[in-house]
Amino acid sequence: MEMTKENESELLRLCIEAACESKETVDKWRLQRRTLDRLPSPLADALLRRLLTRRLLYPSLLEVFKHSAEEIDLRGYTGVDAEWIAYLGAFRHLRYLNIADSHRITSSALWPITGMSTLKELDLSRCSKVNDAAINHVISIENLEKLHISETSVTAKGVKLLASLENLSLLDLGGLPIDDISLTSLQVLKKLQYLDLWGSEISNQGAAVLSMFPKLTYLNLAWTSVTKLPDLSSLECLNMSNCTIESILEDDKAPLAKLILSGATFLNEDEALLYANTTSLSFLDAAHSNLCRFSFLSKMEVIEHLNLSSCMIDDDSVEMVACIGGKLKSLNLGGTKVSSVGLGILAGHVPNLESLTLSQTQVDDTAVLFISMMPSLKVVDLNTTNIKGVLHQGRNDLDMVFSLTALQNLKKLERLNLEHTQVMDTGLCPLESFQELRYLSLKNASLADITFDYLSSIPKLTNLSICDAVLTNSGLHMFKPPETLKVLDLSGCWLISQDAILAFCRVHPQIEVRHEFVTSFPYNQSGLNYSSPSRLPSSPIQATKKKEHMSVSPHFIDQRLKYSRDELLALQFMSLPFATSNDRSTSAFEKRLE
Amino acid sequence: MKKEDTVKLISAEGFEFVIDKEAAMVSQTIHNMLTSPGSFAESQHGEVTFPEISTTILEKICQYFYWHLQFASGKETEFPIEPELTLELMMAANYLHT
Repeated sequence: MEMTKENESELLRLCIEAACESKETVDKWRLQRRTLDRLPSPLADALLRRLLTRRLLYPSLLEVFKHSAEEIDLRGYTGVDAEWIAYLGAFRHLRYLNIADSHRITSSALWPITGMSTLKELDLSRCSKVNDAAINHVISIENLEKLHISETSVTAKGVKLLASLENLSLLDLGGLPIDDISLTSLQVLKKLQYLDLWGSEISNQGAAVLSMFPKLTYLNLAWTSVTKLPDLSSLECLNMSNCTIESILEDDKAPLAKLILSGATFLNEDEALLYANTTSLSFLDAAHSNLCRFSFLSKMEVIEHLNLSSCMIDDDSVEMVACIGGKLKSLNLGGTKVSSVGLGILAGHVPNLESLTLSQTQVDDTAVLFISMMPSLKVVDLNTTNIKGVLHQGRNDLDMVFSLTALQNLKKLERLNLEHTQVMDTGLCPLESFQELRYLSLKNASLADITFDYLSSIPKLTNLSICDAVLTNSGLHMFKPPETLKVLDLSGCWLISQDAILAFCRVHPQIEVRHEFVTSFPYNQSGLNYSSPSRLPSSPIQATKKKEHMSVSPHFIDQRLKYSRDELLALQFMSLPFATSNDRSTSAFEKRLE
Repeated sequence: MKKEDTVKLISAEGFEFVIDKEAAMVSQTIHNMLTSPGSFAESQHGEVTFPEISTTILEKICQYFYWHLQFASGKETEFPIEPELTLELMMAANYLHT
């Protein structure tokens, strides 16, 4: 509470920024020892965070914070080694220490934090040189409540020693070779609430011990050979993705809210879920599982997030989803056999649905009409579907209606993905009246310059991508982007030249343009340069990539089809003289920056 | 300037800064002192003493109050802070909730 208030303080923010401006400004205050010792810890922690993001922190500078800092997060900070830990060992009030991803930290480097009685949370995740010897130092920190040692070199032998840390409430042992015996030795940790055992060697026998943790609310057993779970009466979140599942949670007391079973193999079809206690479930991820019957859904009356992508769900089973659709906020049916008919069943039953993913399904333009009947939608993903953008209502072409017009009903629509669909540029004209649309993604080889006209008046558009299209230099030149636009992605628009992009960047410095030829960034305040080093396709790899694009896109009708691969490669190098001269100037520029 | 529209801020060394009440109110702490009825003597005399804040820092704070008022009304200028003052000023800003 106190901290959020201080974070709001404008002057405080200005001070921290001024203090961490450069190495020189740091030198101006680092010798004010008496003031530093009096610094309230939230201020010291905020100052330290800023020093870290500005890359100004070094071991001996740490020392000035030893009487004030309580939280230090050095995660991924390059160069953290034994010397840093030596200084940190002298901290008087350190409560939280995160040195995850520090590859120079060895077990012996951790010796200085031995017996630090103030320390409550320690994160050593992915410190690959930390092994069982480190555990001897760690267990001397007797007040430790949270410990992360996932993906370190600690073995089952070391994990057994952790049993003496009786205050532990969180233990992250992900990716460690823990066996049933070492898990059994941890059962004395009665305060444990969060236990991560992904990728371990735990079997059903070991899993039976889990019921000995009376407060366990979070459990991760992903990628293990556990197939059955005992009664876990306080469990709220369970992750058993990529496991083979026989039976789970048949005890009716667990207040389970979140269940992740992606990639799981169910031995008895949907029986495991049918008998599991799922009445309080709000989140279910069963993507890529082998589920093919969905009657278990009927029990999930309060479900809000449902991911069934790449499951064997079809139009018949969609009814099950419709029955529990009342509270649904997000639904992912990507890569399933659900078609427009299924969406017809769903429409009208999902009043609160905010996010709908139908990518890689066979839905067509009729589905768009049904989607328009889901009033709360903010995010719609129709990537790689049969949407064409037009509906034929009569027999002749005159009766054509733009299907996307129906989406105008969705007053909250913020994101729309139409990549790899057959929507032609003219089909995009209804988009200009989408009042809340911020993100729009298009990827289609038939989109020509007129696309720009349809998109330039979408009032709140911030991110626009038109990839692999046949946009030209003059089209880009004429484009009047919406004032709100921040990012324009033109990757794969092979007709656009580097010069045209640079010219566009010059006129619209606030827009970040992405293209193979150039990565530009918006003007920064120092006004250094509007375009950062541009990179040219320097090798045939780029050309081969283009070729791949061609074979992937099924609706490719542009000029490139005329050429064979070798001809294309030749074309690629035709622009090289221009390219190399530019490349040279860029590398010179880069050098100057260094 | 009418007396009731101003407040007097007194530093640890006893220096007095008379500034607009509106400016002083930028600080949530001073705002609370001046507006909570009767509970602070400060609200009656329009005087606030800061035994923890030195004259240099209090002067900077007053400058900030006025800068903040301008900034709030849309004037975009930088507020310069000397690196030597940052630590003390941080603590004062923290105390004054500004």
